[in-house]
Amino acid sequence: MIPNLGNFSLWLAFCFAVLQFVVSYQKNNKSTLYFNRIAVNGLLLCAFLSFLSLIYSYLVSDFSVVNVFQNSHTTKPLLYKIAAVWGNHEGSMLLWILVLAIFNYFIFKLYNKTNSIFISKTLETQAFVTIGFLLFTLLTSNPFERIIPVPTNGLGFNPILQDPALAIHPPLLYIGYVGFSAAFSFSISAMSIESIEKVPWYNYMKPFVLAAWTFLTIGIAFGSIWAYYELGWGGWWFWDPVENASFMPWLLGTALVHSLVTVEKKMMLQKWVLLLAILAFLLSVVGTFLVRSGILTSVHTFALDPARGIYILVFIGILGAYSLILFALNSKKFIDKNYVSFLSREGSILVNNILMVVVCFTVFLGTIYPLIIEAFSNNKISVGEPYYNSTVVPIVIPAILIMGVVPLLSWKKIGVKKIFRKTLPSIVLTIIVTTIFLWIYQSYNPLGLIGIILACWVISNIVFTQNNIPKFSKSMVIAHIGISLLILGVTGSSVWQKEKIIRMKLNDETIIHNYNIIFKEIKEVVGKNYIAIQGNFWIYNNKKSIITKLNPENRFYPVTNNSTTEASIHTNLLRDLYIVLGDGNEKDGWVVRVYYNPLVVWIWIGAFVIFLGGLFSINTNIKILKRLSL
Amino acid sequence: MRKKILIFPFIAFFFVLLVFFYLLVIERDPSELPSVLIDKKVPTFETDSLLNKETFISKNEFGSEITLVNFFATWCGPCRDEHVYLKRLSNEKGLKIIGVNYKDNPNKAVEWLEELGNPYSDVIVDSKGLIGIDWGVYGIPETYIVNSKGTIKYRLVGPITKKKYNAFYSKIKESED
Amino acid sequence: MTKTLLTIVIISIMIQLFLNNSYAVEPEEFLQNPKQEMRARDISKNIRCLVCQNQSIDDSAAPLAKDLRILIRIKVQENDTDEEIYKFLTDRYGDFILLKPPFKISTFLLWSLPFVFFIIGIFILFLHNKKSKKTFGKFNVLLIFLFFSI
Repeated sequence: MIPNLGNFSLWLAFCFAVLQFVVSYQKNNKSTLYFNRIAVNGLLLCAFLSFLSLIYSYLVSDFSVVNVFQNSHTTKPLLYKIAAVWGNHEGSMLLWILVLAIFNYFIFKLYNKTNSIFISKTLETQAFVTIGFLLFTLLTSNPFERIIPVPTNGLGFNPILQDPALAIHPPLLYIGYVGFSAAFSFSISAMSIESIEKVPWYNYMKPFVLAAWTFLTIGIAFGSIWAYYELGWGGWWFWDPVENASFMPWLLGTALVHSLVTVEKKMMLQKWVLLLAILAFLLSVVGTFLVRSGILTSVHTFALDPARGIYILVFIGILGAYSLILFALNSKKFIDKNYVSFLSREGSILVNNILMVVVCFTVFLGTIYPLIIEAFSNNKISVGEPYYNSTVVPIVIPAILIMGVVPLLSWKKIGVKKIFRKTLPSIVLTIIVTTIFLWIYQSYNPLGLIGIILACWVISNIVFTQNNIPKFSKSMVIAHIGISLLILGVTGSSVWQKEKIIRMKLNDETIIHNYNIIFKEIKEVVGKNYIAIQGNFWIYNNKKSIITKLNPENRFYPVTNNSTTEASIHTNLLRDLYIVLGDGNEKDGWVVRVYYNPLVVWIWIGAFVIFLGGLFSINTNIKILKRLSL
Repeated sequence: MRKKILIFPFIAFFFVLLVFFYLLVIERDPSELPSVLIDKKVPTFETDSLLNKETFISKNEFGSEITLVNFFATWCGPCRDEHVYLKRLSNEKGLKIIGVNYKDNPNKAVEWLEELGNPYSDVIVDSKGLIGIDWGVYGIPETYIVNSKGTIKYRLVGPITKKKYNAFYSKIKESED
Repeated sequence: MTKTLLTIVIISIMIQLFLNNSYAVEPEEFLQNPKQEMRARDISKNIRCLVCQNQSIDDSAAPLAKDLRILIRIKVQENDTDEEIYKFLTDRYGDFILLKPPFKISTFLLWSLPFVFFIIGIFILFLHNKKSKKTFGKFNVLLIFLFFSI
């Protein structure tokens, strides 16, 4: 019964979306507002009902629903039953639609006497996008399909995916991806409306973009956190096509956020905002395409189905053609004031935009190039980490350098000498701190050096301009500090990592970077749905006092016939100690892999700080909106 | 002037979409790796034969008739499933099939062949997988079609199934062209 | 005690059956000469594990990865150059096995376009600021200098 309700709600949602589209198309009638209120609220309610119906079906393990049967099992812990809802293709489409509906609702809330044409057009575009995804779900990926006879139990789920970080990763990411739909809609609307100068469209767009970007940041971070803690070899980013698919909208989102600030303050970079909003959302949909169409295989991809792929491709084609042609024709309406001077805040933001877009295109190129080669010849090539390290890293470095200088710049030109005077204390501090780091880690790797310099540079500049002109926002400070911490973490853990792979018998001892590790015991452990071999390792520091006991495991899950390695990690602010147990036996000993990962926790802390900065900014901008809507 | 420049990214965008469309429409397995040995001569190798005491010298075995080379092992489930089709190719179609016992226990292999039947004209031992590496093997079972001139013409990755049997046999016939 | 050991052995076997007997590069594979070992590992990190998702053979637990690791070490000990080792592998498995795409005519666009995008970006910057050519000039030089120095 509940699944039927879910399916019915989905169809009803479709009807509301169509209503919204038709009504908004008519524009500025009295009835537009009235019917839109019905449509928007109806759409939201139905999206929620549908989503909750699926969750309910999972919670009660209703295996008559194909989706539940394929992705769940009675022994699955509660949290992961819920996570399984959005961990599969069909269920995640419900999440797409729900987030579309939520953002749609907030767009509707912006209606006031002066902006009704603009908001109506925005709602029309948003409705079109929503209809597209609803039809896709209903026609090709309906989660409420039933199966008869009803199976007694489900197919379980990959145990590697039963993890809290992974459970929360998709919803956060989707708020990100899907949130850019609102930016897209605002952009289309701004370009389509007459007398757009009367409407502060950029003020409306900003909180939506901030929300999307902020949650995309933390969503990506959780994915990396999961990879680091779960996958057993300490990696956290693989340049996998699907990871790239989330990174590209993030890059454009970063440029978009900064450009919106510039539009607000100086009425410049408007065309950038319009175009970036379109591209960010298009890339989000392309990302969806890559994951769900079966065009490539990846740990992240869902089941292979070319028919789905063709639908999404056609949808991207329509959205892309319409938006880009509209941009080509109408963007000239938006005339920017003044020319940009580079030694100003708007100048550096422009430079940053260019760099973000170049990185984004490069990542896009690397991601799709193997597919292009495959289409034209019978060869396959790989574009892996070495490619991105060679191309992306050199571009990101100047971007961070500039980010450091930005707090010192004001919204008009400043002389070079003045800048130099202001940065002098930062330069000194950076040199001092860098030297300290080199002394601690005793490694003169040039990339490491650059990383530390960049992180210090950004933070010192912020610190030293606390009391000075020009004013800058609390959120910017927080977010930029977050980026520096992130860089610190990335640099430390990549460049100064130490690894030791040895075979140890019981009571053997090994040393890594001043830590003594003794292999104390090996025993078997029984968990909720697994059995495991666990190694017990005692860690001592150089003062011979015990720091911690680490217990890596190798688990076997009978239901899905899977094995996993569970690393055991001791984290503090300076480093992670990461141990993985290999295979072996009493006689020969066991293969043990130990990693010393300096500063790795700062990657996650940095991401969280960025997230906080984003939240503050959303808050500030919502207040601005409230003032506007009076 | 600026308008015309915008054409290029636009064209690039739709070009990419077309490429995606094309890749979806043709039947392709995205996880499959095409062999780089197609249209090349067979690798040269020597190894022991499984069932008799002779040495297998590759130079002597290829270049006279169409030959299939099938990489298999007793620990490989799909290899067991495709065995019946190998027997059909050998018995009904009279094809010469060389079996490469890949990273396996020779005794188990002998028992396995006794149990399931032996479709191979010869079975050779690749205990460390080095012959497999020379052929570009990445996941067994894999079956190569070598034509009568000793040129590799086709590789099938995965077991020969009921669905694939006819298509595979067509490839065998085509290999002589 | 015996019971515990027995259980451990059984669980080990079960895990090994499903995890295929290796957990990425193992101590026994290491070459005695540390320089050679470093070289072998650097090469391995550029070789894709063909039966995994996006891992190098250095990180992978798969048997094929192990076979290739051992093969690479043998070749390093025989003093083959990096190019010879890569060629050996691509002759058998194609360019797909390299994580760093090769420099060929077919990958010309792949390697050159990022640089081209960057130059176009600088050009767009120039378009935004026809008046302050002087300042732009200095800035431009700085950016290009940074780019090439890296």
